[in-house]
Amino acid sequence: MSAGHADHADTIPVRVVAIDEVTPQIRRFTLEPIAGGELPAFSGGSHIIVVMRGAQRVYRNPYSLMSSPHDLGNYQISVLRVDPSRGGSAHMHEQVRVGSEIEIAHPVNLFALAKLARKHLLLAGGIGITPFMAQLHDLRAGNVPYELHYATRSPAHGAYCGLLSSTEPSCVSLYHDSNKHFIDIEGLLGRQPLGTHVYVCGPAGMITRVLDTAHALGWPDSHVHYEKFAAPPTGDAFDATLLRSGIEVHVQPDQSLLEAIEAAGVDAPYLCRGGVCGFCRTEVVSLDGELVHNDHFLSDEEKASGKVIMPCVSRAHCRKLVLDL
Amino acid sequence: MLITGIRSKPVYAPLQPDLAGRYHVMVGHGVGAAPLARLLGELISAAPAALAHTRIWYVRDPASPQSNADAFRAAHVAELRTFDRVDPLLADLTAAMDQALMGTRLYVAGPESFMGLIMRIAHEFNLAGDEVRAEECGTMARRVHCIHCRAIIEGVRTNIVECGCKRWLVVRDHYSRRLAAYMGVMVDAEAPGERPDVKEVFL
Repeated sequence: MSAGHADHADTIPVRVVAIDEVTPQIRRFTLEPIAGGELPAFSGGSHIIVVMRGAQRVYRNPYSLMSSPHDLGNYQISVLRVDPSRGGSAHMHEQVRVGSEIEIAHPVNLFALAKLARKHLLLAGGIGITPFMAQLHDLRAGNVPYELHYATRSPAHGAYCGLLSSTEPSCVSLYHDSNKHFIDIEGLLGRQPLGTHVYVCGPAGMITRVLDTAHALGWPDSHVHYEKFAAPPTGDAFDATLLRSGIEVHVQPDQSLLEAIEAAGVDAPYLCRGGVCGFCRTEVVSLDGELVHNDHFLSDEEKASGKVIMPCVSRAHCRKLVLDL
Repeated sequence: MLITGIRSKPVYAPLQPDLAGRYHVMVGHGVGAAPLARLLGELISAAPAALAHTRIWYVRDPASPQSNADAFRAAHVAELRTFDRVDPLLADLTAAMDQALMGTRLYVAGPESFMGLIMRIAHEFNLAGDEVRAEECGTMARRVHCIHCRAIIEGVRTNIVECGCKRWLVVRDHYSRRLAAYMGVMVDAEAPGERPDVKEVFL
């Protein structure tokens, strides 16, 4: 549609060539380009959007690339089956088979390693291990020290514990809740040398603990990185009008505003679909209720102003929302 | 011509304590004692306990009457290290930074050329803009890097300067953080002997 935005019509058709049952809840999908050749280059920490055409609606879920950035013959992603699923993860687990053809969007990296870091401290919780799997390919080849601390519910839930402990014994520490063995976040963050960057990917509670602890110990924001993938929050249904096109959309309780806009055939801008990158930021023209902000991008002042919204995760508590789209 | 409109020249602001920091490292040269003493006073009144995590590195400047470390001595910081020359301070500070932990804030006060040297250490340890604060005071004399013979000329106050390699250099605003110096480029390469008058401009 409008120039300057990522062209979402430009997806890449890929074929699922392997599905591995990594744990009872996690499946790893290997995707090859249908056109043959290589997929676009990416750096560790990148994610792709997988476009899933379900019976009722289209889902676009972000998944971290976990395969090596040095092997572009295929991409690998891991999908955790969320219960209850909004539809995306269930679709990947139930409908997608070896041989299925799906579409993906080009990789985007919002969780890259800091190139000038003197040390990297990686903290993974559960499925949050995936972006680090790709980054480890670069870290192993470099000479910057790093540590990976990987916590899972139990050894059986540890998707890639075996692989990591065999390839990275000196740099990897594993933790299992079932053994009452937890990452000592305060201890770790309190003894890192100057120039360390910390990266955290995992459940929301873990990310919050790391960010709060880092802040309390004097870590500057520039050295703290996090990535959170969560389904868009649910809420009340509401209606929205897109001012420029005059299109009216109805947002279901379990659907995001962005998804409803896309379902109406409008190619709205987005990158992360997780409320962090700011790319989908949209001006609010009028509103007869209040906005429910779920993003981590807008400032408190912007949120309070009611003039701007991030449709990928935020909603409205109203009858009518008019957007400058 | 070669001098103006270049944005790599650093911009500095008055020092203020960053109370989000856990350890405070203050580094000063000569007249930089005054802003550091003011900073220390503000830190003590805002967070008295921070004194136990504050360390100072200071170079005395015999040419500067305001140059003294008495204010620091009275404050009983965790560590005070004084020097008569810049080079030993740089080596000592580098060794200390190698042992420092995340949560450290670096404050620098002094002449611009001194700050450049400290900022170079800060970059070496990957300190970002939100971990370093610097206040320029004292002379604006420049450290100049001859781009032809790669010599460093200290304390340049003039628009053009003769390098040890016998070339006359125009002192640009193009600043290299890696070299902690301004670029000096041969001024009469196109027309040998045609040079502007020598003027004191960096006071």
